Parts: sequence; structure tokens; C-alpha cells
Amino acid sequence: MAKILVIADIKEGVLKGSTAELLSKAKALSAQTAVVAIGSNIESLIADMAAAGSDTQYIADDKSLELFSAGPYAACVVAAAQQFEADMIWFGFSEAGKAAAPRVAAQLNAACATEIIDVTLEGEQIQVIRPAIAGKVIQRIQVNTQTLVAVVRAGAFEATPGITGTQNMVKLSIPAPDLKAVIKQILSDASGEIDLADADIVVSVGRGARDQAGIDLVRELARDLSAGFGSSRAMVDGGFMAHNKQVGQTGKIVAPTLYMAIGISGAIQHLAGMTGSKTILAVNKDPEAPIFNVADYGIVGDLFEVIPILRQEIKKIRG
Amino acid sequence: MKILTTVKRVVDVELNIHIENGAIVEDGLQYVINAWDENGVEAAVQLKENNNAQTTLVSIGEQDNTDMIRKCYAMGIEDAILIDDPALVAPDAFAYAGILQKVYEKGDYDLVITGKQAQDTDSGQTGIILAEYLQLPCVSNVISIEVMDEAHIRVSRLGDSGTEIVEITLPAVVTVSDSINEPRLPAMRGIMMAKKKKIQVMDLAALGTSVEAVGGAAPKSEVAEFMKSKTRQAGQKFEGDAAQITAQVVELLANEAKVF
Ligand SMILES: Cc1cc2nc3c(=O)[nH]c(=O)nc-3n(C[C@H](O)[C@H](O)[C@H](O)COP(=O)(O)OP(=O)(O)OC[C@H]3O[C@@H](n4cnc5c(N)ncnc54)[C@H](O)[C@@H]3O)c2cc1C
Repeated sequence: MAKILVIADIKEGVLKGSTAELLSKAKALSAQTAVVAIGSNIESLIADMAAAGSDTQYIADDKSLELFSAGPYAACVVAAAQQFEADMIWFGFSEAGKAAAPRVAAQLNAACATEIIDVTLEGEQIQVIRPAIAGKVIQRIQVNTQTLVAVVRAGAFEATPGITGTQNMVKLSIPAPDLKAVIKQILSDASGEIDLADADIVVSVGRGARDQAGIDLVRELARDLSAGFGSSRAMVDGGFMAHNKQVGQTGKIVAPTLYMAIGISGAIQHLAGMTGSKTILAVNKDPEAPIFNVADYGIVGDLFEVIPILRQEIKKIRG
Repeated sequence: MKILTTVKRVVDVELNIHIENGAIVEDGLQYVINAWDENGVEAAVQLKENNNAQTTLVSIGEQDNTDMIRKCYAMGIEDAILIDDPALVAPDAFAYAGILQKVYEKGDYDLVITGKQAQDTDSGQTGIILAEYLQLPCVSNVISIEVMDEAHIRVSRLGDSGTEIVEITLPAVVTVSDSINEPRLPAMRGIMMAKKKKIQVMDLAALGTSVEAVGGAAPKSEVAEFMKSKTRQAGQKFEGDAAQITAQVVELLANEAKVF
């Protein structure tokens, strides 16, 4: 039986849904499952981690692990992987995962694959599927080592309803802090708005909104829908939107039920972050904008005119 | 401060890519400098201009990498090394990192700058693995670099809950995001001068290693097959009276797509 170790995705004291998604996939592969949880004050989440489908919980809980630092984070994962004798180590999609996965692979002499969207296991042979070249192609990758470290793309797997596990906590020793790369501070861009990764609906604004007034207009639509409020890079570069709002290859990869692209042209790097969405609506005044090639519904029009009507019509329907 | 910056020649993502029999059709492809590496080159050149850093570039590939290298010369890079060895076929990130490790060890570098990922694989591994091999501190997804003193830099990186400020003791490896800068367009004078500059070409033997030693002969993983990505179908596009088409689309979102 293969053994799959999933890195628990914890943010602001909450276990994120991606953990159950990855564990569900692991169970679907008939694997033995464990999680490794790294942070400060997280022991209380053990029950949640078991409920998400893990049968062992490796815990590194220490004040020194409060702020993300790739070195100690990777050291905890390596320790858990070795104790569990993991065949696969899966990170959910996050900047922490992207930073730590190659380190873990190098230390375990394992193969490494990022942004995977599927994985198969036949006997001992592991294969993964992942997009490359900004999403223009899909690669089937053959893994030649016994162990694979992978970063799973957001939205790749679904949580199995009713999944459960068992509580079996194993404490890891706390690694020494990285004294050569010291994290001093996090300038949080927490805006009180919904995290893009969690949002069922994402409304994103592009250069078509022009300025702060345009952005505020589109933000109202996002508020009405309790949606995540995202952005193209153009509006981040322009200083209007925070970095963590950027959707695309360099930003967040999102796969909500509904993605609304407002005044966004649909550059390949933006598409790479949102074409996994279930339904896409685009509003753009240029009928030739490439965003319409991926949109299920397209409104050709001036967003300054369309958005107020859109808000009104949605209110009518949703009550 | 001595900087080593890495550049990869990659397929142009703006053009169409065709696949036949599990492989990418070479015909009609165009190659460009990896966009994130270009940000790395710009960052290195800025450190040269503002902090008197010395800049060396390394690229692994074939003779046709020279156009790209000359572009980097024109941007302001001072020295360039091209690692060209016919034994290298489709190296994985570990093999690239193994080769870069040898290049690093031959120089006396304080800082390695790589792009955060390459546009052909979108893997984002090489720089980080290189740091592991060299046992150097590493910060990825960096959006600013500031020199504190001869032995320290302060960088900011985009993390999961905000911008993380990290102080690094040199030597170190950083991988940069495209948000770090806007790469300059080389001036005519730079382009003319770049034509005359020498590029140091080395094979693996000259580097003191071999394809086996860097893991290039037995990759940890390999692409078994390329497939077309499932492109979304263009759906319904509505033009005309804004009030009317917007109401129509909302009705479809509710009753056809069932998202509300
Ligand atoms: C290495 C690299 C990485 C990148 N990563 C990302 C990334 O992660 N995310 C990202 O988004 N981009 C990324 N980019 C940038 C990308 O190539 C585009 O430049 C960017 O997405 C453009 O943003 P935009 O669509 O808002 O702006 P534009 O391309 O300028 O498009 C604006 C659109 O608004 C429309 N418009 C104008 N006025 C109105 C109006 N009144 N009403 C309705 N529509 C209107 C226009 O018709 C146009 O289609 C990256 C680029 C590179 C090179």
C-alpha cells in the first residue's frame, strides 16, 4: 500500500479545504494517509485534520514556526516523510508549497513535480499530469524515482463527502531557525475581503476599469455576491490592487464556480490562472478581446454602463 | 559583490503550439529569453549600476543561445558563459542545478539570481534545488532586492498572506518574480557593443563534470507525452443594448449555468 503524506494547509488558525481534497485523492488511490502540520498554536486542529481524512498527524507546533521560513518548513516535512516512509509528499497550491517542495525533493533525493492536476499509481510506477507553457500544453510525466514530491494545483481534486480518518498525533522535533534568511516582517495585505482561494465566486478587474473609481464600481459587484475580488496584473502594476489579488501565472490560480473578468483582455498569463473555473463571464468593450475565447458568457459593452445593470439584475434574481 | 544570473532560452508562449504524436512540433516555433530570467538580468544590472556589483550570466544550451546572450550584454551584463554539451538531452531541474552548481563553484559569487520559473516547463525548481546543492540560503518569488552591506541583502517576497521581508546573509540564491522590475529595452549603443563581446563557451568536461555526474543521464522524471490542453470553447457572446443583453446573461447564469 502506497503511503501519501499531505502537508496540512493552515491559514490564520483554520485548516483549509485543500487538505481534505488532497487526502480524498490519496484515499481514492487506496493509499495510507498522513498529514504534517507546521505552525504555531495548531495542535487544536488535530481533530479537523483527522476528519479531513488523515490517519496520522505529524505536528511541528512552535512559536518559532509562526512566520513562514522555507528552510525549517522543509525540514519538518522531510522529518515527517522519513518517519512515515512516504512514497508521495503532496503540497497544496501555495507560495509556501512552491518554495518548500524542491527543497524537500532535493533532500530526499526524490523527483519533484509542481502544479500537478492528476496523479496515477500503477504498481510502483507514478505518473503525473500537469500543464506547462502557460497552460498551452499538458505534460504526462513519468516519475523514475520511488518517491515523488508534488505541488497540487488549486481545484485539481475534490473532497469526498463523508471522508474521515483517525487521530494519531506524532510530535516532530522543532528544527533550528534559518539564521541566514531571517524573516523580519509580513506586510499583510489582508483587506478583510474574502480569500480568492476560498471564494465560490471571483470577480476580477482589469485595466478597462481605468482608475480607483472604476475599481470601486467593480468591487461593489463583488461585495453584492460575497465574492473574492481579484485583479489582472495591469491593475497591480498600476498600484491600484494589492499583489495578493493578482490572478494568473504569477499570482493566484483560482477555480471558482463563477469567474467574472471585468475589463480584462485575456492575456495568456492571466488565462493560466482562471481557465479552470466552472463558468466564466467576461465584460469587455472590445468584441475581439481574447477573453471571449474562453468565456461561457460574454457581454460586449462598456463596463461603466454594464456593471450597474449587472448588479441590479443579479439583485432581482437573488432577491 | 559578484552576481551570477541564469538565463534559459524557451519557446515563445505567445505563439501557437502544435502537438503531434505526443511531441511538440518544432516547425514554426520561436524561441525567446525566459521572461522571468529577463527580470533577473534587469535586477543584476540594476545592482551593477547602483551598488557596483559585477555581473556574470550563465546559460545552458546550444549555440543558438548566443542571440539571447547578446541581448543580455546589451542590457548591461558584463560577462557570459554558455554551457554547451551535446551529451545533454532534455535535462531536468536537478541536472540544470547540478551544472549551475559547478559554474558557481568556479567563480567567487556572492549572489545567484534566477527567474522564479521557466516558461517552457513552469516548474519553478532549478534555483531552489541549486541552493540546496550549495547549502546556501534561498528566497523565492522575490519582488525587491536591497543591499544592506557587503554581506547582507534585504529582499521582499510575495508570500501567502502578504509581502514577507527577509534579511539574507550572502552568499545566497534568490528567484525573482516579474513584479520585481520592468526589463529595459537595450539602447542602440549597447546592441552594437554587445556584438563584439566574447562569450565563454564550455562543455561539461571543461566544467570538471559529466552528464552522469550531474544526473543528466538518469533524470528523476521525464515527459512521457505532451498533450493538447483542453481549450475551453468560446460560449455565447452578446452585443447590443446593454440593459437587454445584461439581463439576458444574468438569466442564463441563473437558469442555465445555475451559479446563482
Ligand atoms: C512573465 C509574465 C507573467 C505575467 N503574469 C501575469 C499574471 O499572473 N496575471 C495577469 O493578469 N497578467 C500577467 N502578466 C501580464 C499579461 O501579459 C497582461 O499584460 C495583463 O494580464 C493585462 O491586464 P489587463 O487585461 O487588465 O489589461 P489590458 O491587456 O490592457 O486589457 C484591458 C482590457 O479592458 C478592455 N476595456 C477597456 N476599457 C473598457 C471599458 N470601459 N469597458 C469594458 N472593457 C474595457 C479592453 O478592451 C482590454 O481588453 C504577465 C506577463 C508576463 C510577461
